Amino acid sequence: MTRPSPGRRDPDRASSLRLAALFFRVGAQNELQYRLNFVVQLLQSILGVAAGLVGLAVVFAHTNNLGGWSRPQLLVVMGIFLMMNGITQAFIQPSMNLLIADIQKGTLDFPLTKPVDAQVLVSVRSVDIWQAADSLIGLIIVIVGLVQQDVAVHLVDVVSFVLLMLMGTVTIYCFWLMLASTAFWLIKTDEMQELFQGLYRTGQYPVGIYPGWLRYGITFVVPLAFAITVPAEALTGRLEHLALVGAAGLTLALLVISRLLWRRGLKRYGGASS
Amino acid sequence: MTQRPAVKVQSLRKAFDVPVRQPGLKASIGALFKRETREVVAVDELNFEVGAGEVVGFLGPNGAGKTTSLKMLAGLLHPSSGTAEVLGYTPWQRQPAYLRKMALIMGNRNQLQWDLPVLDSFELVRSIYRLPRQQFTETRDEMIALLELGPLVDKPVRNLSLGERMKAEIAGALLHLPAVLFLDEPTIGLDITMQKRIRTFVAEYNRKQGATVLLTSHYMADVQALCKRVIVIDHGTVLFDGGLQRLADEFGSTKTIVARLDVADGATLDTYGRSATNRGDGTWSIQVTRSEVAEVTGRLLAEQAVVDLTIEDPPIEDVIERVFSRGSTPA
Amino acid sequence: MITAEPASAPTAETEPGRFREFRTNASWLWRYYTQFMRLAIITQFQYRAANYFYMIGMIAEPVVYLVVWSTIARTNGGSIGGFTAGTFAAYYIVWTLVRNINIVFTPFGWEQRIKDGELSGLLLQPIHPIHRDLAFFAGWKVIVIILWLPIAAALTLIFHPSLSPTVWQCVVFFLALWGAYLIRSMFLWALGLISLWTTRVSAIFQAYFMAELLLSGRLVPLTLMPKLVRSLAGVLPFQSTFGFPITALTGPITDTQLWHGLLTQLLWIVVGGLIVKLMWRRGIRRFASVGG
Repeated sequence: MTRPSPGRRDPDRASSLRLAALFFRVGAQNELQYRLNFVVQLLQSILGVAAGLVGLAVVFAHTNNLGGWSRPQLLVVMGIFLMMNGITQAFIQPSMNLLIADIQKGTLDFPLTKPVDAQVLVSVRSVDIWQAADSLIGLIIVIVGLVQQDVAVHLVDVVSFVLLMLMGTVTIYCFWLMLASTAFWLIKTDEMQELFQGLYRTGQYPVGIYPGWLRYGITFVVPLAFAITVPAEALTGRLEHLALVGAAGLTLALLVISRLLWRRGLKRYGGASS
Repeated sequence: MTQRPAVKVQSLRKAFDVPVRQPGLKASIGALFKRETREVVAVDELNFEVGAGEVVGFLGPNGAGKTTSLKMLAGLLHPSSGTAEVLGYTPWQRQPAYLRKMALIMGNRNQLQWDLPVLDSFELVRSIYRLPRQQFTETRDEMIALLELGPLVDKPVRNLSLGERMKAEIAGALLHLPAVLFLDEPTIGLDITMQKRIRTFVAEYNRKQGATVLLTSHYMADVQALCKRVIVIDHGTVLFDGGLQRLADEFGSTKTIVARLDVADGATLDTYGRSATNRGDGTWSIQVTRSEVAEVTGRLLAEQAVVDLTIEDPPIEDVIERVFSRGSTPA
Repeated sequence: MITAEPASAPTAETEPGRFREFRTNASWLWRYYTQFMRLAIITQFQYRAANYFYMIGMIAEPVVYLVVWSTIARTNGGSIGGFTAGTFAAYYIVWTLVRNINIVFTPFGWEQRIKDGELSGLLLQPIHPIHRDLAFFAGWKVIVIILWLPIAAALTLIFHPSLSPTVWQCVVFFLALWGAYLIRSMFLWALGLISLWTTRVSAIFQAYFMAELLLSGRLVPLTLMPKLVRSLAGVLPFQSTFGFPITALTGPITDTQLWHGLLTQLLWIVVGGLIVKLMWRRGIRRFASVGG
């Protein structure tokens, strides 16, 4: 939960943050009302994670090196994959799904009539906090992997990692916003969502193992490489400065492009709604 | 014609356990550990018999237990206690032989396939109910004619309007010529013409096939058009069971005359009936007993400058309310 | 399920004998299936484009497995656990077909079915609702198989699978596909019926799917799994729905094993059917008591 600092110069930004916090708290209260919900969700998280881990375990049973990545390092990749997954499912996906539904049904008016920037509002409306359990478990796995690997981790690496994770989150957010914005034109986006959720699975393993065409696809079409593999590279001593610069560049570019697409779509929506 | 009644209901009772949820965060956490329920009695000691070929209307306010009773007779619900027999079968045993002889039509339910032309859905019904070709074709063509579905049968159900869809659903529901028909709010949400069409159709079906019909409705017009006998239900018990005429006579004892008159300001029309209300811009409504209607109308027309005059029935809710307040039991 | 019940209208036949009754029932049921399958094909044909995105998204999973295991095989001197990169490719490409054959009515769909009254509607009909689902998805498969061919061709061009089955293997493969479909239909139907007792079912479903993932041959060929897992898989139905059909075609598999696999499938179809029958009876009684 974030608290707005009183010294902020931008009142809109402060109120946006406050709004986000409010939504978060209300969302959590809502969730508590359902009997046994938290136990069930935790179980589901553990099950989901376990499936990925078992897959990794079978791989480990037959080899201790994949594309140059050692076993602990593969754990790190898996852990980051889970962390990203948790963050996406908890903070990005719910709002985006709601946004797409609103666009398709024509009920997007509520967020548009508030004095807060519409993009911020539609992006923080809905939170599925229980999915963040995946991120916690992912973090634990990352730490386990770090401890076991025989590459030293420096403070610089950790800082790079945190930066890259943040940028990765923003990248994925922008990507989903663009996907959701296509609903302004296409109306029926469910299948595309399924397509990309399917492709997301490729992030479990370092991007380098995939054949060329696939690697390009998940670097530039679905920005998984920068969201998962590159942060993993930071923690496993592989990070090239170019990658860091590239990630920053991509994030910035996506922020701009997604914002433009959003505005364009909103304009179309305003004109087309009956 | 069998001597045994088509529908026989004895001491039928249905109670539900409904969870109780309190507001507030603390109560929510408490609810994680212990769930409270309370018992809601939907149907309480229902007793009646319906002979073969009868058309009976179930009247009552929302939550009276009408739909629950119908669902039990259709086999969708098990009663908490009591017995029921329809065509000699116990409905909730759901024997295929019983299912082939009955039909339940609920206003908002789709039995037809959404994406397929209506005719294709009908063919599917034929397979499900195992209807011989000859009989099926005759019945189907007759239904299509009676319900004026001709131009619609090649269209997918999703392309039909609400009224057209309802007609198609009814046709589809009766292709197997059930001997017992349960109708739950069959005309809800339809326009007047469509309501009339469906009423005529049901009456015709009853006449031709000798089918027993049980229907629930909010609309007095449905009941008046189709049912000689009504059963009034509230809070799951029968408050009245008898002819429609007797219900209207005993409990629908007043009518309202609505007249537009040129009358001097300040004048009252109390002398004409029990009470007279000025509705504004020259319109008055006068309450009279049924027996007085003709006389009062005559006097009004003779003594006043009447521009327009209508006679309104008391709304069904008022009649029923009167039944409740009298606490009547079946005669 | 369906009781022996003669047609309700007068026909030329008088009281049918038991065998005649059975044949009448069977022919009506066959008619229903062909009609409903046709229906499914037509409606799914209309949603063709939607199908395609879904199918393309679905191949990400086996492609990941394929790439990972091919990489391992290559760095391990060309083969691992008896599989080369080529046979891994074959396994996972056939996987995509079997995966699609395995798609049946989702257990998550039952909650919606109960809520929106579809279940009540099905209960009014004198035919067991499972026939509707079996027929619908069977018809859908026809479309799926057609849509799958170009994907398989593309994957073959990219990953160069090595595949050389005998004629008998192909025959068994075809039979095994439908066996897998029936088994999974039964078991997932039974799973979905749990919704009639409680709405808190997602954890149960997830646990089932995870067990299926690990024990069916979906994650990896079962021969690569430790012995304990393989023994467990041997007494559970999952292998019959996934690993067996794939291995039937890709091999290596002996004729005895092929027969054994088919008989095992038959066994699981029967077991699944019994479970469904039991749960359905109990479940509907509960549904009718609680009111849905």
